[in-house]
Amino acid sequence: MKKDRPKIPYVDLARQHAPLKRELLTAVEQVLDHGGFILGPQVAEFEAQFAKLVQVPFAVGLNSGTDALILALRALGVGPGDEVITPVNSFVASASCVALVGAKPVLADVGPDYNLDPAAAAVAITPRTRAIIPVHLTGRPADMGGIMALARKHKLFVIEDAAQAVAAHYRGQPVGSFGDVNAFSLHPLKTLNACGDGGVATTRNAELAEKIQILRNLGLKTRENCVEWSSNSRLDTLQAAMLLVKLRHLEAWTEQRRANASFYRERLAGVPGVQLPDDPPHLRSVYHTFVVQVDRREELRDFLLARGVGTQVHYPNPIHLQDCAKELGCKPGQFPVAEAQARRILSLPVYPELTEAELETVAKGVREFFGA
Amino acid sequence: MKVPFSYLDRQFANLEDYLADLREFVPTGDFTLGEPLEQFEASFAKLMEAPHAIGVGTGTDAIALSLKNLGIGPGDEVITTPNTFVATVGAIVQTGARPVFVDSTDGYVIDVTKIEAALTPHTKAIVPVHYTGNVADMPAIMAIAKARGLHVVEDACQAIMGAIDGKLVGSWGATAAFSLHPLKNLNVWSDGGVIVTHDDALAAKLRKYRNHGLRNRDEVEFYGVNCRLDTIQAVIGNRLIPTTPEITRKRIANAARYDAAFADLGEFIKIPVRRPGVRHVYHLYSLHVQRRDELLAHLVKNGVQAKIHYPIPMHLQPASAYLGYKPGDFPDAEHHSRVCITLPGHSYLTEDEVGYTIEQVRKFYRP
Repeated sequence: MKKDRPKIPYVDLARQHAPLKRELLTAVEQVLDHGGFILGPQVAEFEAQFAKLVQVPFAVGLNSGTDALILALRALGVGPGDEVITPVNSFVASASCVALVGAKPVLADVGPDYNLDPAAAAVAITPRTRAIIPVHLTGRPADMGGIMALARKHKLFVIEDAAQAVAAHYRGQPVGSFGDVNAFSLHPLKTLNACGDGGVATTRNAELAEKIQILRNLGLKTRENCVEWSSNSRLDTLQAAMLLVKLRHLEAWTEQRRANASFYRERLAGVPGVQLPDDPPHLRSVYHTFVVQVDRREELRDFLLARGVGTQVHYPNPIHLQDCAKELGCKPGQFPVAEAQARRILSLPVYPELTEAELETVAKGVREFFGA
Repeated sequence: MKVPFSYLDRQFANLEDYLADLREFVPTGDFTLGEPLEQFEASFAKLMEAPHAIGVGTGTDAIALSLKNLGIGPGDEVITTPNTFVATVGAIVQTGARPVFVDSTDGYVIDVTKIEAALTPHTKAIVPVHYTGNVADMPAIMAIAKARGLHVVEDACQAIMGAIDGKLVGSWGATAAFSLHPLKNLNVWSDGGVIVTHDDALAAKLRKYRNHGLRNRDEVEFYGVNCRLDTIQAVIGNRLIPTTPEITRKRIANAARYDAAFADLGEFIKIPVRRPGVRHVYHLYSLHVQRRDELLAHLVKNGVQAKIHYPIPMHLQPASAYLGYKPGDFPDAEHHSRVCITLPGHSYLTEDEVGYTIEQVRKFYRP
């Protein structure tokens, strides 16, 4: 390894994959049996199972979650001259997808749940607005009731960025089933993860599904007929085969993440200076990250690291203050909620392979730091 | 006898070696821009005698990312040839630029004598395609580019190790794009691509651009894409890349044998010009033939998996409607689409299989 890792690293893909080695290699061999590396049968099977999970008729396997966002925008015809509203605290892909199709990302502030605040989104709407991209950040569903109502009122497309939220529900309905086209990531650090890059677009609309199928495959409608010049963004068959193995474990992993979150909530309840994420009954959050807000964050990070606990910050720099967003002309102070959060948020390790003793070590470290 | 076009099942003959690599790799979880990828990029750069090789999602992306990072975008025009795979044009259009076609010539590569006439004040780049593994006339193209201040991105997706007088593809343009698609001379087990460049600053920019424009984990320098060659595929690539010179040698030998065997069938078969000094690497062994569709049916019926690359030139694709081209605009590319045929030419073919293919072609014309 490049540097010494803490005993309880923030992420540990080796722990997840070592026990799956045999199953994963068997899945690889099944692909080798037919050699259909490009859009082979495992891609179709994965798409079918994923669609069922999200309770939509169509899921299209793509090269990445970022590509899912880009192709969603392209399929909906969003491009130069258009504006798209997206939250200011997210991974940059939620905004860059808009810029990459030639449209203008319009950033809006978030609420205490770290997700797009429908009231802030409403204020950002202009005559050029074509779509809203709510992000289910941390694996917690955004306020889809508020966002869908806003979109209906202003006749806007909705593209859910569900990159961090496979299997999350809002009022019993899976995320990725609300918007016109929705994007999931299967990146190795996601809760359902390929052993490489991968993504999925979901939709209820047959025409949009077909359009994305064509766009991901160089615009080819048949081997010979190219109906629209496009890129190549296919989910690898090999990754689909390994994802089918992991889908069998997803429900158990998700429940374990939720249980780990509950453990932290119990053990850290009432610790002064620590603000915990709540878990309201109308949401099924899947805890891609378990984010607390704390005073003296950097000190706490060092304190935990000294006790062998890795932590992370998602994300320390809101998008409007990144160099990439210079053209938007945003200023510090423009998005006070997200900016205040950015200084205080800390992600604790929450992956399903953590032992109870490890969770206890993390919780104990936080308590000790705050003298509780 | 069956002579397959794909060779993947033969690549799996020594499967255990690959699986051993994967058994070792999978538990590491080093899946994104990991160590095996760095190793593969270093090997690829060495093979192509270039300082930088950057693994990306696909060969198409390799072209598109190159153009975008050279500043090509909406309002610009990019010259290429209609005698290519759709990906070349798809990549150009991804940048927002307009593709401008220039006809091909004997050898199926861009006709350099026709480039000047296609230039406008909006022309920003030329994307010559080393189609079938033949190398476009790079010295002539570079002379035009230099005189006119144009960027050149070599579409070398089919031409790994191709060269002119020992000078490798990728050594002329600002970048060259390579594909690692499962049917390419050097392949991985999924989509994959590589950008080769001699430009340090461009290489550094491309490495960020393929990874969301990230300068480090937390700082985004510019809007970028997610377009990384999967590390797990680099594991496969690392096992295959040392065999690339031998794969190339065998493909060239198969092609030479075909050329010699068809030399006396000139009234039926036109072997493309073999320019002296050019190392054509024969990703596709393609010919122009009389009664093409009948020959194709005859070969397929007799177990030889011949193919057509491709039946519709790019300017006549439905996707090109907005460009306003019409049949007759590019006679060489259109002729190619009507008479071309590709014979199995890969490195895993046995001497008997090549011999059988020759026999079947000869039998068709001289029963």
